[in-house]
Amino acid sequence: MTLPSTADVVVIGGGICGLAAARELAARGAGRILVVERGYPGAGATGRNVARIRRMQLTEELCRVAMACQDKYERMGGELWSNVLFYRLGYAWILYEPDEVDRMREVVAMHARLGIQSALLSPAETLHHLPVFEGGEPVAGSVLSDDAIVHHDAVVWAHLDHLGRVAKDTVSVHPHTNVTAIERDDGRVQAVVTDRGRVTTPVVLNATDGWSTEVNAMAGVRMPNRPRRREVLVTAPLRRTIEAAVTFYRPSEGWFNQTLRGEVVMGAVDPDEPVGVNQRSSWAFLRRTADLMTRKAPTLRDATVIRQWAGMYDITPDHLPIVGPTAQLDGWWQATGWSGRGMLLAPYLCELLAEHLVTGSPPEMLRQFLPDRFAPADDGERTETDYYARYGSALASARRGPASTSMSPGNTTSSPGA
Amino acid sequence: MIDGFEGEPLAVAMVAADQRILSRSFRFHRPRGLMCDTGQCGWCECEVDGRPSVRSCQIPVRDGLVARSEHAWPSVDRDLFGWLDVGSRLIPPTFYHHRFLRPRALRKRYLDVLRGFGGRGRLPIGRPPVARSRVERALEVDVLVVGGGRSGVAAAEETAPAGSRVVLLEAAIGRAQPRHPDIRFLEGAAAVGWYDGVVTAIDDSTLWSIRAGSVIVATGSYERVPPVRGADSPGVIGARRVADLITHHGVLPGERAMLVGEEADLAAARAALERGGARIVAAVPTSALRRVLGRRHVIGAVVEHDGAERRLAIDLVVIGDRTPNLDLVLAAGAAVERRDGVLVPVLDEAGRTSIPGLSVVGSAAGHRASASAPTPTGRALVCFCEDVHADEIEAQVVAGYGDPELVKRRTGALTGPCQGKYCLQAFSAVLAAAGVEGSAAQGDLPTARPPLRPLRLGDLVATEEMADP
Repeated sequence: MTLPSTADVVVIGGGICGLAAARELAARGAGRILVVERGYPGAGATGRNVARIRRMQLTEELCRVAMACQDKYERMGGELWSNVLFYRLGYAWILYEPDEVDRMREVVAMHARLGIQSALLSPAETLHHLPVFEGGEPVAGSVLSDDAIVHHDAVVWAHLDHLGRVAKDTVSVHPHTNVTAIERDDGRVQAVVTDRGRVTTPVVLNATDGWSTEVNAMAGVRMPNRPRRREVLVTAPLRRTIEAAVTFYRPSEGWFNQTLRGEVVMGAVDPDEPVGVNQRSSWAFLRRTADLMTRKAPTLRDATVIRQWAGMYDITPDHLPIVGPTAQLDGWWQATGWSGRGMLLAPYLCELLAEHLVTGSPPEMLRQFLPDRFAPADDGERTETDYYARYGSALASARRGPASTSMSPGNTTSSPGA
Repeated sequence: MIDGFEGEPLAVAMVAADQRILSRSFRFHRPRGLMCDTGQCGWCECEVDGRPSVRSCQIPVRDGLVARSEHAWPSVDRDLFGWLDVGSRLIPPTFYHHRFLRPRALRKRYLDVLRGFGGRGRLPIGRPPVARSRVERALEVDVLVVGGGRSGVAAAEETAPAGSRVVLLEAAIGRAQPRHPDIRFLEGAAAVGWYDGVVTAIDDSTLWSIRAGSVIVATGSYERVPPVRGADSPGVIGARRVADLITHHGVLPGERAMLVGEEADLAAARAALERGGARIVAAVPTSALRRVLGRRHVIGAVVEHDGAERRLAIDLVVIGDRTPNLDLVLAAGAAVERRDGVLVPVLDEAGRTSIPGLSVVGSAAGHRASASAPTPTGRALVCFCEDVHADEIEAQVVAGYGDPELVKRRTGALTGPCQGKYCLQAFSAVLAAAGVEGSAAQGDLPTARPPLRPLRLGDLVATEEMADP
């Protein structure tokens, strides 16, 4: 099937980001919108993540954004009239080092101010709530919130279904369509060339996350976000046992949670994962994850791995996404660099992006994510891998006490990865 | 409490004690019994000594062993959830898509209830940390042969005299040893993955990573469950398992047997049944089978004979059909094609696949794949782990979600504990019949996902890499 020869907006990438953007643009009457996707809808990181929708973040700015994002998900089922299986499973940071516990006291106080339900649990309370850790490495405590999970695929289908029903005349989604070139002239986007034809358009949205560097390069746009592989494994279904989505950052980063069907999904992060698109699974990942999980939660030794896969994180130097237009090329919009939080952030931030595109000025909350906070010369090599270090400056100011409440949204962007 | 012979497989002891239902399927709690001969179908999974979802056909009986059923209430024989199957049409795999949204206040409650239906085994809480009983070893060899059946051993012996380093992997214990002294025979080592050209394998003491100049796949074939309703009932058993039950364990799995498939694939089972005193009621080609009757156990079958349907009273269906084991071929990303309705690897005259260094011999190459496999239709099951019916796959295509990867995700087919081994062929046949064309090298198949067989997390724990002697 060939594509129409013109469109008002071409969205490159048919994952949660591209589909959410199409939905929001259509709702605002942005004209004819074309979504082109190289594989099937949700083929990239959207279909490969574990869809944790977490408000509980380490900085106040991120918490505020994440709260809006979670609200968006909570409403999504009703708005799109498709169940996305939004479920408050609970979310726990498991802490292994005493200084982590000290940091978290302030974080939990900050959560309380914002109205996020979180609590700092003692080691005994942690084991009581999450007995899966019994017999494992001694925990120093945990932070538990009432955060949620959704079903990533259901989110994609909810959007597709909705677009097919409500925006049939304005939005068309074209799977298995490869973008081969971007035409530009006088600093403006002219057209998107695909293997199914050329589309003239004044606006292109790059929503390709892990592949965005590649797509940006076609348009001659330089951004510092770089793709890195993350891997996941899933076990055969087990009776409900683990009553929270679990993450730990130190001394090594790992996570697991049980899905509604009972499977346990888990992963252990390789801090030395090289830059580059790579969706192949590795044996080293299985070994690393088995080692880490059976040490921390020996109960999991009897869980049976039945499948593993890999997906891409598109990581920016400050671990915040890149959302909006750029001065480098007129008409070139981006919603990329999700840094592993695309599932959480994309639906809401794409709403803000659509607002920006239609009204011409960015909503306040979008400002911290605008692409031009990075200089075109940024090479992306400053990426901070230690989780807490990324939030070093914000946490330090949080420690100074109530002063942090007066921090204006947007000021973390000036200290990327500090 | 049952008696069994020490060392015989637990599932065999249970069948001998007339415990025919060994497990219940995940979604509709359909009764399942002993079926395959290799521990791959997962229909015999139960809790053994506190460990969840153990394939009981692979566990030797010993005194004091405690086996419990899973995913059934009050018991695996009389499982009240079995009634769900009666309403299976009302519960398609996409049942939740536009439901459970009203009233808003109950949204979480609905999901809590759904969550209660999920899960299978119980995770035993507070087990001690894993003792590191395995070591990790890397091997560099010239030839790796995966599978120690007749063609695997022959392939290994053929390559060995050339002075090359040859390793032969065989998952089972007690198969014939290769005669050539230069073949390194890793008995009990199961290949579990293909990772960028490295084949990984696991046995009781070692996690192997083997890089070979040439990999020869001789992994044989899997039973093909007949594509008709009721074909997953206890009492439908693979021909090799039937022969093994009678010959090695003295257990007669049925009195009145029906053989399904080609005579050549059924000869051993027929001889064993006759020796054991069973009556062979009928032998029919797969295309003549219409339906298997009996929920808790096979009580009959409907077959077509001279244009009319005939009902037979039987208590055993012997499956002769087999399909090639494509696990490694697909994991490596080699091309496959559909021949006579069966997916087989694309091979040149020398048996080489589209991946350099990877070749296939024996029944894994599809040489003995039974001709003209019928395609499941209607309410015949395609995927047994997730109870996906043929019409549910067709419905996805009609609804515009015909991409194989989307069908997989929307129905759950190919994602269960058998990892697609028993549904891949039927899944792709149904899609092909529905007119879905694949563009990738692997045809209309979703991406193969490692590992090739289920692995306990605890089994993947090993001490640091050791240099191989």
